[in-house]
Amino acid sequence: MDAVLADRLQFAFTVMFHYLFPIGTMGLAPFIAWYTLRAARGDGQAANAARFWTKIFAINFAVGVVTGIPLEFQFGTNWAAFSSKAGAVVGQPLAMEGVYAFFLESVFLGVLLYGGHAVSTRLRGIAAVVVCAGAWLSGLFIVCTDAWMQHPVGYALAADGRVELRSIAAVLLSTFAWWQYAHVLVGALVSGGFIVAGVGAYYLLAQRDEVLGQRFVRDGTIVALAFSLLAVFPTGDRNGADITRWQPVKLAAMEGLFRSQPGAPLAIIGMPDVNARTLIDPIYVPRLLSYLAYGNWGANVRGVSAYPAAIVPPIELTYYAYHVMVGLGTIFVGVAVLAAVLLALGRLYLARGALWALMLAMPFPYIANEAGWVVTEVGRQPWIVYGVMRTSDAGSSTVAAGETLFTLIGFAGMYFVLGVLVLYLVLREIVTGPRAET
Amino acid sequence: MTIFAFVLVAFMLLVYVLLDGYDLGVAAAMPLVARTERERAATMSAIGPFWNGNEVWLIAAAAVLFALFPKAYASAFSGFYLPFILVLWLLMARGIAMEVRGHFPSSIWHEFWDTAFWLGSALLIVIFGIALGNLLRGLPLDPDGYFMGTFAYLLNPYAILVGLFAVEVLVEHGLLFLVLRVDGALAGRARRFSLWLSHASVVGYIAVTAATFAVRGLAMARWPLAAVAIASLASLVALRICILRKRDGAAFLASCAFIATLLTEAAATLFPYLLPAPLGQGGISVYDVQPNPVALVTAIVSTVVGLCVLGVYAPFAMRRMLGKVRVEE
Ligand code: HDD
Ligand code: HEM
Ligand code: HEM
Repeated sequence: MDAVLADRLQFAFTVMFHYLFPIGTMGLAPFIAWYTLRAARGDGQAANAARFWTKIFAINFAVGVVTGIPLEFQFGTNWAAFSSKAGAVVGQPLAMEGVYAFFLESVFLGVLLYGGHAVSTRLRGIAAVVVCAGAWLSGLFIVCTDAWMQHPVGYALAADGRVELRSIAAVLLSTFAWWQYAHVLVGALVSGGFIVAGVGAYYLLAQRDEVLGQRFVRDGTIVALAFSLLAVFPTGDRNGADITRWQPVKLAAMEGLFRSQPGAPLAIIGMPDVNARTLIDPIYVPRLLSYLAYGNWGANVRGVSAYPAAIVPPIELTYYAYHVMVGLGTIFVGVAVLAAVLLALGRLYLARGALWALMLAMPFPYIANEAGWVVTEVGRQPWIVYGVMRTSDAGSSTVAAGETLFTLIGFAGMYFVLGVLVLYLVLREIVTGPRAET
Repeated sequence: MTIFAFVLVAFMLLVYVLLDGYDLGVAAAMPLVARTERERAATMSAIGPFWNGNEVWLIAAAAVLFALFPKAYASAFSGFYLPFILVLWLLMARGIAMEVRGHFPSSIWHEFWDTAFWLGSALLIVIFGIALGNLLRGLPLDPDGYFMGTFAYLLNPYAILVGLFAVEVLVEHGLLFLVLRVDGALAGRARRFSLWLSHASVVGYIAVTAATFAVRGLAMARWPLAAVAIASLASLVALRICILRKRDGAAFLASCAFIATLLTEAAATLFPYLLPAPLGQGGISVYDVQPNPVALVTAIVSTVVGLCVLGVYAPFAMRRMLGKVRVEE
């Protein structure tokens, strides 16, 4: 096996596993901040809610930490050429993430979890807000790193092929990065909303903890609705626009558009046949892709065939991942609108069908988030830094494919055990339910 | 600037060793001092609020090393692929152990995770010590700075000696922290063991210093470091006095001072090399692996500012987590 293929498989597996946990922390942190602040105003139910979600947050956080460290190390172990050539830029936001975000988050989570009675309710409120800021800030720095790999700015190439940093401001303030970050954060909040609503729906269906159950359903539904809409517009739309502009071949692969054409249709479903260069059994909306990409129903959209094969990403994976994300995004809007309408009518808490839908919706935002990252990262291929460095040149000369496969199998085993334990612990917290302090 | 960058990385690694050092040490000391189920649970709770934040120092130090010396990060991490992945797995095992132990009331469950916890931690210390020993001894490197030896090369007697000394020093460090955090018989036992181990520290210190001269040769000795060596011995004496007088806080600080002098000696011995070749044949120095000046200055400024900010809020927050874990009813 090609060593870089093994590196890619290992990175993909470990980062996709890691990302499950930041989704939970970035998505739940604002709920915890909100309930903790309400508790500081003397709302006893909110205090129980805050304690309940903080426990689940803490599990997510701890697993986020242990699965995050391997990612950082892998830049050195498996991507030595990339790290040594691009480290002058890529190292910056990673160092800032550690020094600014991770410390903040871990110190103040400590206050929330272990402060006990030494901490006033007001200080707890502040700590909860800071934890949320820390979680969101780590997301910002890591997305800035990724966004630079997608759309490099603020750098110069040295004679020996090394990347030199020119301006850290350009890296951190790139609009590409901030729209990507906005979409990532929105994706996490969609998840947070559906988790809170789903747990509330479970309590209502099981006819227990009904006071908080109603509250969770209400708060979760409102957040899920707001952010499902924001995922589509403006953030999803803007990410699409950036891709159209900077990575048009990724757009063609995402949409399964093989031939360039004016008035290009949008494929809602269909299976790409890469050899025949067409979609099998497609359903099209005429001209919509031209409009979405260029704001003009007749615009010419370039297809995959218009690009040299050497810069085309894997088409099937990019295409399916994109359609899974967008399809789920549409379904989320539907479910959230339905729940919000029932909520406004005052009928949601008794509508068993809608409660079942909310409860069963819980895993799907995770799938949408992971699929989105597959679009982003697989669609970036064959580049590791877009247009600057190829993935095939980025690996470690001293690490053989066999070594990486060995460690990949090890990670698979550890993460399987870890996954089972986390699932068990979180489900146990949910079944135990929000309890008053003893 | 380059020298300052080296000092910054060394400083962050030092803080990492001082902080994660005590929680690794507490864990490695568990089979030594904790006799009952309650005591084992208390031993783990003693570090519960802190280990995670301490581990962030490793993450942050590694990331800062990456930003300041990208080529060294790349060649060190890929050159020592399996040892680094092993470190990851051990970190993971002990992190999981702390997270899940308390969630299931079964003695078999507890026993399993207790073992993962102390064994994982002890192995981590040994590996870190062996790594430091090999740096001091020097490594066979190709011109790009990639390690050319084998796994077996790393397990030489000198490095193993440093690894064992590291376990001894950090177990001592951990015991002194444990004394501060628990009460009752457990605290008494921890204090007693720490007193015994302070003898071992003196012997170990002399043995490791002599062995270092032996593998590096007297010609490479840096005589001004004798001042640091005197400080090491002075802090060991102070440590013993403090334990005997039951000045627990001061004893822990003396242990911090002892470790700080040891690592200062190590860093000063290595400079300017990050990955030295054996016996003064050069190696990969900080000047070979730094990024362009803008990147170097950016990383230094952002890290220093960040650490200053941390210096403001961390003590404020940490104050609220001190106090003792009750072992006895
Ligand atoms: C709940 C999660 C979720 C939902 C409902 C959506 N997305 Fe998304 N999407 C993500 C979660 C996500 C993500 C995981 O957060 C990604 C991966 C990388 C990134 O920047 O965001 C992403 C990436 C991503 C990209 C690729 C960006 C790149 O390659 O740099 C595009 C073009 C879109 N999204 C567009 C959309 C559109 C038009 C949606 C409308 C339904 C949509 N997303 C819904
Ligand atoms: C958490 C969300 C993320 C997920 C799920 C994800 C997913 C993936 C996947 C599936 C691949 C393999 C692509 C392929 O080889 O075809 C990959 C590669 C990679 N990603 Fe990501 N990624 C995420 C975030 C990031 C971030 C934030 C960074 C940068 C800091 C990053 C850096 C890389 C690198 C260096 C590779 C290996 C090189 C390559 O294959 O291009 N990823 N990722
Ligand atoms: C290549 C990709 C990635 C690397 C190298 C990486 C690295 C890390 C590391 C080292 C930690 C542990 C920090 C601690 O001690 O608190 C961590 C946790 C975390 N990561 Fe990642 N990460 C990656 C992908 C991502 C992505 C894509 C996101 C989100 C957008 C993210 C968000 C977080 C957050 C919020 C935490 C804090 C712990 C938690 O909330 O679970 N990470 N990450």
